Amino acid sequence: MNKPQHSAFAATAEEAIAAQEAAERAADLAGGMTSDEATQVAMQNTLLTPRFYTTDFDEMDAIDVTPVRSDWDKLIDQMKSDPNKGHFRKNDDWDADWDNMDPALKREFIDFLISSCTAEFSGCVLYKEMKRRGSNEDITTLFQLMARDEARHAGFINDTLREAGIRVNLGFLTQKKKYTYFRPKFIYYATYLSEKIGYARYITIFRHLEKHPEHRFHPIFQWFREWCNDEFSHGEAFALLLKTDPKLTSGVNRLWIKFFLTAVYSTMWVRDHQRPVFHEALGVEPTWYGQEVFRKTSEISTQVFPFTLDIDHPRWQPGLTRMEAASRQVAAAKARGGLGGLLSRVAGMAKAATAFVSVLTIPSVPNEVPESPRMEPAY
Amino acid sequence: MGLLTRTTETAPCEITISHRFDELSAHCKFLNGAVVHPGDTVEVDGPELMAPYGQVVSDTRTATITRASALERFWTRKTGDFEFMELCEFSFSEEVMS
Repeated sequence: MNKPQHSAFAATAEEAIAAQEAAERAADLAGGMTSDEATQVAMQNTLLTPRFYTTDFDEMDAIDVTPVRSDWDKLIDQMKSDPNKGHFRKNDDWDADWDNMDPALKREFIDFLISSCTAEFSGCVLYKEMKRRGSNEDITTLFQLMARDEARHAGFINDTLREAGIRVNLGFLTQKKKYTYFRPKFIYYATYLSEKIGYARYITIFRHLEKHPEHRFHPIFQWFREWCNDEFSHGEAFALLLKTDPKLTSGVNRLWIKFFLTAVYSTMWVRDHQRPVFHEALGVEPTWYGQEVFRKTSEISTQVFPFTLDIDHPRWQPGLTRMEAASRQVAAAKARGGLGGLLSRVAGMAKAATAFVSVLTIPSVPNEVPESPRMEPAY
Repeated sequence: MGLLTRTTETAPCEITISHRFDELSAHCKFLNGAVVHPGDTVEVDGPELMAPYGQVVSDTRTATITRASALERFWTRKTGDFEFMELCEFSFSEEVMS
C-alpha cells in the first residue's frame, strides 16, 4: 500500500483502535466470523453513485480572503482543532434494533441513510478534487478540512448501514464517469445552502427528539447535534467566501440566489412529503418540519444574503403542495409508460413548472447584511 | 481538440479506498499530471476494487480519458450549472415511495 496522502488518513493509535473495534463488532454481528468473512455473507449491495464535477480552478485560486482575514483564520483554526474528532464513536447509548423495525419504516430509513451517505461522499470527492487542483493555500486548507469531515460522516453512516445488512459498493471508481462543470459561484451558493440547510434539518430533528424521546427509533439521531456543528462550520466558511466579493451577492446574482433558495427549499419539501412513514415514526409532521427548517435556514442566511424568501406568503405552501402533487403524477406516469404515460408525464412537468414559477415570483423580504457574517450554532 | 471529434488518451493513476469506521472515501489521482476538463469521461481500467471493512487499500491503474470535443466542452460549460441540485445535501432520494 502506498503512503497515504490525505491528512484524514493519518494513522493515529486512536483511529487504529477504532478501526479494530469496528472490525470486531462486524465479526460479532456475523456470529464469530472475521470481518472479511462477514463481508462475504450475503449483504445487500448498494452502489454509491456520486457525481463528478470540475470548475474554474484559476478563478477559485484567485479568491482573496484578506477582507475577512481575522474571521477566516479563527474559523480555520477552530476546524483544525477538530472538535468532533472523538464524537463519532459508538457507546452504550447505541441501541440499534433493526430486527423489530417496521418494514415500511426500514425502507424509508435506509433510503435516508443511503442518500445521506451519498451526499457526504460526493462532498468528500468534490472537496478533495478542489484541494488537489487548487494552489491558494487558504482555499485548499478549507477543502482539506471539509473532506476530512465528510469522509468521517460517510464512514459513520456506512457503519450504521452495515448493521442493517447493507454494504456500500464503490464500484463507481472503475466505471465510466463524465465530468460536468459548475462555475465557482454556483459551488459557493449550492454548498453554502446545502451545509446550512443540513444543519437546520439535523438540529430540528435532534431538538424534537429531546422533547419526545419515545419517537427516537434509532440511536443515530442522538449523534446529530455535534454532527451538524460540522455542517454549520462548513457553511460559515462559505459565508465568508461569499463576503470576499460583494458582486457575489448583488446585481444579477441576486436572481441566482433567489432561484437557488427556491429550488432547494422546494426540492426538500417534495422529497420529505414523499417519506410519510419516516416522519410519522419521528412524530414529525412534514409540513411543520419543512417550515421550521426553512425558518432556521432563512434566519441563518441573513448573515450573507441580501434577502430571504417569504415562506409565510399565501402562495408559498399551496405552490409547494402543487409541486409535490405534480412530482407524484410524473413518477406514476413514468411507471405506467406508453403514450398515456408520456402525455401525463408532460402534463405533470408543466404543472410542476407553473407551480415553481408561482413560488419563485413571490416578492422576497429585504435584509440588511451585517458587516461580519460570523455566527455560532444557536438552535 | 477538434470541434466535433473526441480523442482518447491513457494516464497512470492511483486509486485509494478507505473503508473504515473513521473514513469512507475513494479517490483517483492521475500520476502524470493529466487534468480533466468539462465533458471529459474517465474510466479506470481493471476489475472493481473494494477495501475490506476496516482497511485502506490503494492500487496503481491505468485510466482512459476520453476528451470531449470542443463543442461538447462548450455545451457542458454552458449547461452544467443547471445540474447544481446534485450538490445539495438532501436526506432522501428522489424516488417516490408512497
